[in-house]
Amino acid sequence: MLPRDCSRRLMAELQGALDACAERQLQLEQSLRVCRRLLQAWEPTETRASEPPPGPETNEEDPSPACAPSPQDLKELEFLTQALEKAVRVRRSITMAGETDKAPSLKSRSTVAPPGAIAFAPPQTPGQAGGHASDTRPTKGSCQTTVPPKGHSERQLLSLGDKTRVRTGARAPRPGPGLRDQQMAPSAAPKAPKAFTLKEKGHLLRLPAAFRKMASQNASLWAQLSSMQTSDSTDATAAKTQFLQNMQTASGGPQPRLSAQEVEAETGRLWKACTLLRLRMREELSAAPMDWMQEYRCLLTLEGLQAMVGQCLHRLQELRAAVAEQPPRPCPMGRPPRASPSCGGGADPAWSPQLLVYSSAQELQTLAALRLRVAMLDQQIHLEKVLLEEEVGGLERRRTQG
Amino acid sequence: MGRRRRPVDPAAGARAGALPEAIAALSQSLPSGPSPEIFRRAKFDRPEATPALWQLLFRVLAPLPLDNRLASLAPEVQARLVKSALRSQGYPRLALAQLPEDGSQGSRELLLALSWLLARGPVLEQMLAQTRVPLGDEMTVCQCEALASPGPPAPQVRAEDPVDVRHVQWLMGKLRFRWRQLVSSQQEQCTLLSKIHLYTSGCHGDHSLGHLSVAEAEMLRDPEGGQQVRWELPRNLDLAYPKGLHFSWTPGMGPRTFWKDLYQACCWVTGGSLGSWWDSACSLLSPLRALLRTLECENRRLEAVLAWRRTELVFWRWMDTVLDTCVLGVPAAASQGTFLPQIPECSGGVLELVAWELRALQEELQEAAEHRRAAWEAKAGGCGRGPEWSAVRRASREAVEKELGALRRCWEQDRDPAQPHVPHRLVRREDGAAGDRDLRAAEVIRTLRSQEACLEAVLHQLQGQCRQELARLAGALPGLIWIPPPGR
Repeated sequence: MLPRDCSRRLMAELQGALDACAERQLQLEQSLRVCRRLLQAWEPTETRASEPPPGPETNEEDPSPACAPSPQDLKELEFLTQALEKAVRVRRSITMAGETDKAPSLKSRSTVAPPGAIAFAPPQTPGQAGGHASDTRPTKGSCQTTVPPKGHSERQLLSLGDKTRVRTGARAPRPGPGLRDQQMAPSAAPKAPKAFTLKEKGHLLRLPAAFRKMASQNASLWAQLSSMQTSDSTDATAAKTQFLQNMQTASGGPQPRLSAQEVEAETGRLWKACTLLRLRMREELSAAPMDWMQEYRCLLTLEGLQAMVGQCLHRLQELRAAVAEQPPRPCPMGRPPRASPSCGGGADPAWSPQLLVYSSAQELQTLAALRLRVAMLDQQIHLEKVLLEEEVGGLERRRTQG
Repeated sequence: MGRRRRPVDPAAGARAGALPEAIAALSQSLPSGPSPEIFRRAKFDRPEATPALWQLLFRVLAPLPLDNRLASLAPEVQARLVKSALRSQGYPRLALAQLPEDGSQGSRELLLALSWLLARGPVLEQMLAQTRVPLGDEMTVCQCEALASPGPPAPQVRAEDPVDVRHVQWLMGKLRFRWRQLVSSQQEQCTLLSKIHLYTSGCHGDHSLGHLSVAEAEMLRDPEGGQQVRWELPRNLDLAYPKGLHFSWTPGMGPRTFWKDLYQACCWVTGGSLGSWWDSACSLLSPLRALLRTLECENRRLEAVLAWRRTELVFWRWMDTVLDTCVLGVPAAASQGTFLPQIPECSGGVLELVAWELRALQEELQEAAEHRRAAWEAKAGGCGRGPEWSAVRRASREAVEKELGALRRCWEQDRDPAQPHVPHRLVRREDGAAGDRDLRAAEVIRTLRSQEACLEAVLHQLQGQCRQELARLAGALPGLIWIPPPGR
């Protein structure tokens, strides 16, 4: 059996590691679900007419607070759909007579889309004023291109269709591409034909204008922040330093002693130093010197390493002394110290999100796999360290106890 | 205003108008920031400003994200935690430690504490960065924080049951299995992600990005979240953002889904009234609109921070005057007493371990170096000591010193130039071209490989030491069963 106090900490750490893994697995699975769903055919969403919208929020942009289409609207809708169907027929006859290049696209459109309803899903953004053409493209339905305006009457019908749709629209306006054309469909025409898949039509997607504006504003603000960070005004920095010094002298307290955080950070650095020095030593010892010059360098390196270890030990003694006289109480709100031997650590100079560019799926996979491997090794090392600490500490205690 | 000890800055009058501006910018850039009035009151140590400042300090110092557990603590407890956190960071003024925790007085002291924090580091930017709503698929290269065990181990008093070695071994096996699962799920995720990026290339308005992220595509697919059965807390929303690749959460909190970030961001914005506000808002706003609102708020805060950076000089001069007005009470140095519960943390333990390691290393090096020196002297004793020889020696010495200097910088430097801790947005490009501040996957792979090699070496060494130690002590204590470290 393990000594009890040793086992408690080890068990806690093991359990923590297991829990962390489980959490990550959960997250991964969640995001896998999302990704898989994105890659399948996108299903038309049902209207949320079941829950009437309380409160003022939705009505700001919604021209009409109606949540369910009134019978009059439905009738209008049907009327409109019929008109559009007729327009399609008219147009088909026109184009068949004339333009040959347009015919295939129309034909494909018409074969794929039963009369009218979906083919004329105009790429408008409901909820925004009127029927002005937006730059969002239809993401559902079969239109590969925007419908070329063939006639004035058609235009009118289209804009009329928008207004109707806007009124009968969902309770929350959708500043998005016209995905909800299905709402026109149920009462009039049969279901949407080919469903939308990312693979085929993904490149047609367009983000809503409002979002794009916000996002680009956001990106530029972050960029400004980063550039301001790097070119920090010296006046301000001087003023801050001055203030900090004044605080120190005005505090009337003892000389600045090492804070808990600093001790932690320093210990972490020394641990890292130890690891790196040890690795370097291994390298030197395992290398077979070719000539006397290399041998000499090897010797110098080893002696240099020895000196550095001595310095580290010295620094450690100082830390120990500082800790002993005024034990810094670790803060319950702080993070548990993890000095990974390979990690850089420290503050981030740049704030704006930077890119990680990859060129193929394989590369991404390799990257992710390596990342996990490093994390796993890190965890194993931590567990080994815990084990070692507990062994050395626990068993020593036992031995002294007798 | 108190009597100033410093000569009046002649230009201060000209900048007098800038102070309200600076304070306004500061208050806008802080989450649920106190009104500028609070700052002014605090200068005169008015008691009504105190509770707001305690809350603000708690917000600033608490590890993000602010989960329910922390947010619902009583104000006195929050005040105590603030004191403890400031102490552990080395806050110099003793007066703070003696403030009553009920929020009845001490606003000036709290103002000083806040300014101290602001002066030491880029607090505002850090807070913003932590609550930033990530729009892309993000990945943090270095995960040193991700795998810390969640919080201080709960004091589960199961000390009565002796732990079976086999149980430990079983747990370790379970851990290995979970890791394998993670790896395979991760691989699948990468393939899917890569496909999504490929299929949506050319869509994004921002050409440097080129394609949509999963979050953006999801927003297009389902802008209203209409496929939700019920609106529950964001944790259960299926619109989970692929944070599977982004592991920079702090220990102790749940999975950081896209919408949970929104939730957090909204809470920051609204001052932390959780729960019911969000639930009712969810039923009103589509996720897209909620996102737009949050982005808007974030943009406003960003603007405030930029304004602050431009005008902060005035604030610091003003803070000097605030410091002057403080009465220099001389608190008894011995009264530092144990007003905080002693946390039986073994922070000394780590120091001991490092000391032990360093001493062992020193012995090894000593032995090796002496051995080599003796061999060298024997060999090279016969060589001439001409000027050519000494030149060579000097050159070698300099080269070695340079190498060792670089080695030293590896651990002394706090900043890693490759910035592995910042989450990076994944972008797929056929040619793999990247700007100067961006990371290339190939380089990151190289770095990770070398890290892997380094860590493997460390692990082997540790395992060997473990075995040695156990063997040694097992010899000293008869009848002890030792666990063989998990073989790889």
